[in-house]
Amino acid sequence: MSLLISTFFIAAGCLFQFQQTSKYEQVMTDNIEKVYQAETVEEYRAVVNTFERIAQKENEKWEPLYYSAYGYIMMSAKATSTGDKDKYLDLALEHIKKSYELAPQEDEVWALEGFVHMIRVSIDPGSRGQQYTPLTMQTLKKAVEMDPGNPRATYLLGRMEFGTARFFGADTSPACARLQEAVRLFELQPGQVTLAPSWGANEAKEVATYCGK
Amino acid sequence: MATAQSKIEGRVVDQQGEPVPGANVYLEGTYDGTSSDLYGQFQFITSETGDHTLVVTFVGFERYDGQMQLPGDHQVVVELVEQINQLEAVVVSAGSFSAGEENSREVLKPLDIVTTAGATADIAGALNTLPGTQTVGETGRLFVRGGEGYETKTFIDGMEVLNSYSPSAPNTPGRNRFSPFMFGGTSFSTGGYSAEYGQALSSALILKTKDMPMENRTDLSLMTVGTDIAHSQLFENSSIAAKLQYTHLEPYFRFVDQAIKYDEAPHSIDGNVAYRHKVDDDGMVKFYGNFNRSDLTIYEPQIMDASIQDRVDISNRYLHLNANYKDILDDKWSIKTGMSLTNSQDDLIVNNTIHDESTRGFHSKSVLSYDPSTKMSLSFGAEHFYRSSSFKVEEQEVSNYKYDQHLGASFVESDLFFSNDFVLRSGLRLEYDNLTGKARLFPRTSLAHKLGNDGQLSFAYGRFNQQAQPEYLRVNDALLPEGAEHFILNYQVIKDRRTFRIEAYHKRYMDLVKFQDPFDPATFSNSGEGYARGIDLFWRDNESVEGLDYWVSYSYIDTKRDYLDFPGKYEPSFSSRHNFSVVTKYFVKALKTQVGGTYSFASSRPYHNPNTTEFNGGRTPAYHDLSVNFSYLYRPHVIFHASVTNVMGVDNIFGYEYSDERNAQGQYVARAIRQPATRFIFFGAFITLSKNKTVNQLPNL
Repeated sequence: MSLLISTFFIAAGCLFQFQQTSKYEQVMTDNIEKVYQAETVEEYRAVVNTFERIAQKENEKWEPLYYSAYGYIMMSAKATSTGDKDKYLDLALEHIKKSYELAPQEDEVWALEGFVHMIRVSIDPGSRGQQYTPLTMQTLKKAVEMDPGNPRATYLLGRMEFGTARFFGADTSPACARLQEAVRLFELQPGQVTLAPSWGANEAKEVATYCGK
Repeated sequence: MATAQSKIEGRVVDQQGEPVPGANVYLEGTYDGTSSDLYGQFQFITSETGDHTLVVTFVGFERYDGQMQLPGDHQVVVELVEQINQLEAVVVSAGSFSAGEENSREVLKPLDIVTTAGATADIAGALNTLPGTQTVGETGRLFVRGGEGYETKTFIDGMEVLNSYSPSAPNTPGRNRFSPFMFGGTSFSTGGYSAEYGQALSSALILKTKDMPMENRTDLSLMTVGTDIAHSQLFENSSIAAKLQYTHLEPYFRFVDQAIKYDEAPHSIDGNVAYRHKVDDDGMVKFYGNFNRSDLTIYEPQIMDASIQDRVDISNRYLHLNANYKDILDDKWSIKTGMSLTNSQDDLIVNNTIHDESTRGFHSKSVLSYDPSTKMSLSFGAEHFYRSSSFKVEEQEVSNYKYDQHLGASFVESDLFFSNDFVLRSGLRLEYDNLTGKARLFPRTSLAHKLGNDGQLSFAYGRFNQQAQPEYLRVNDALLPEGAEHFILNYQVIKDRRTFRIEAYHKRYMDLVKFQDPFDPATFSNSGEGYARGIDLFWRDNESVEGLDYWVSYSYIDTKRDYLDFPGKYEPSFSSRHNFSVVTKYFVKALKTQVGGTYSFASSRPYHNPNTTEFNGGRTPAYHDLSVNFSYLYRPHVIFHASVTNVMGVDNIFGYEYSDERNAQGQYVARAIRQPATRFIFFGAFITLSKNKTVNQLPNL
């Protein structure tokens, strides 16, 4: 009898666990799709708010924080004033720092941090390049070292190297090789079956087309 | 099991009742929630039951928590309280220009100090293109708002620096000793500064040394004036950076004629060391040292008869050491403490007579800051200055002039944020010194009010003092410190990458040193006084034209003073009523070259002609200078730099000197003070060696 009851509770417990996981995954999957499709600052804000709500509930998961940060980066790209751009990047970085506490070894988070620094440079290359270019390179190199197969880290690093090489009229072929590698890695990447990040394939292809021009 | 669904709806507004769209509204610990719409309205359904907390968050506001019982429909109006964010909040800007890292609201960037044409990478040279300064081309110093050059005091990491300019031949500009390369932040205040800074009458130049470098690197510079090598090495929790520079102007003078006849061209060796050690997450110990040795010898013709020349040998040995420690003790308290030591020995040999001048200073300071809430911060501290100066002429009896001074000070200052739009800073400074045996109190206050999103109005008031200059204090050590009172009204708008500011000020001078005979202590007094008032305008635009950055400064000043041996209140000879400058920087992508141009104008200055009865009645011609520079990024780590001052070759006259005695015609003989050479031309190659090939020395130029 007691065995039966125990078995029941264990089973119920598993089921409960399973349901919880699947609700988390379901909500995440829906909103990951939304964040990839958002176009306006308002749309990004709505989905970032959702990720923040999920993050406060699922406080051991790094993905909701990651996607909030990604959403803020996109908001920064859409914002028009320098002040707003920086404000959203600050918020993105705040979420990235929090996700390091949960997943310090996650190369995707390192790649995203590199992306934040890279956008900082692009806002005002003249006065910020010196401070943020080495930071961007360092962070992205670290991400690639952690997982040489990470297409986003590879693409972002390639893009940064390509921009620098072209600016100085130096040889772009090492940067281009990296970009081609990123495109290849994106092709190997499975579709959105898990909660893992999948953005960047189109952008990588687009930047790679500049090679050879 | 019946599912009890509850509808939660309402509106999010700010303290003014305006809707807050995009706020995040949810039940804590659940997935249930939504974002407020364009009108601040929200609505969501939940099946939760029991006691719950409704949370509303939005960037820039305090988090809202409201209790509610479920099931049950709820209608709530949530009023969010504005968060005081000291980074975004109003900052006191009256009187100050700062060039810091990152902060997008800074008027200047660190790079600006070093890429301004005509400044030749001299900190003072770059700051001289800002309003509130007056061009005094024969000194190279910062003259601020009717103040003498000595009224601008330099501080490194909060600690006092004495003799911050390198020696130079008489009436030729000296350079600031400190290379902009060592500093990450510069704050230049033209008045009304904080109670933490004392012993400066007109202006405080606050330099912040760089924090930890990001990577190991070696920099090598080859220049027409000399060479230098610098290296930064990073360790786990510490770093060391050192720079050694050797300059010799002899080769350059062979190609470019100088008006001054040099026996030995200026040459110097200069070393800088910076050591940083991280104590914990927030604590940092910084050590900075600078040593310098420079020599030059000229033949100076006498005014009465230029065929008689005095041989003048000027040499200087200089040491400045600076150590400080900064830490955050807990979430409310932080500490900053440090000390600095300056030792400067000047030897002046005129023909065969040796004049020795020695200056020593020791400064220690501790500041505690207390932030009980985001609405208030309080800081208080104490400091001690020791200064000693002596001057003696060898082979002369009773010719040793000197003083030893101890000065203690304490200060307290509070920042009160009434909202993000209104801040009041009030401070009080107390000083006591052993020479006068008196204590003095100096109130300082400033307030700033944000107008709209981008504009702000600030006001500053303060009383300031500074010990009498060493050459006078050595003769009569009972002299009181000189005093000044500043009133400043400032309006500033920063929108995107455009800045406009206008500042009006009134300044009163009191207790200025006066004398009849500079070597007779009995004739000294503190009965001098004066005033300065004027308007400063500044416009910077980095937005309108892609790649172009420019700023325009204009200053108008009306100043008179009665000091030194003046027979009454007159406009001093360093003053020019109108100062105007335009600085441009343009990056030509196709050429990988930054081109810079600076035009400076200063209206005529008074000078005293002893052949006339009127004091300071003469006027010099106006000053013009057009300088250009080019920085060519040859490779990511190799830069070529060229700069030329006074491209148009204007023969600027800064004033006139007169002979001590009359000539046969009964006239005092005049000699114009001119530029030592029409132009200064500079070439240099700057090479950076690091693992990361994209790093270069651009910010150092």
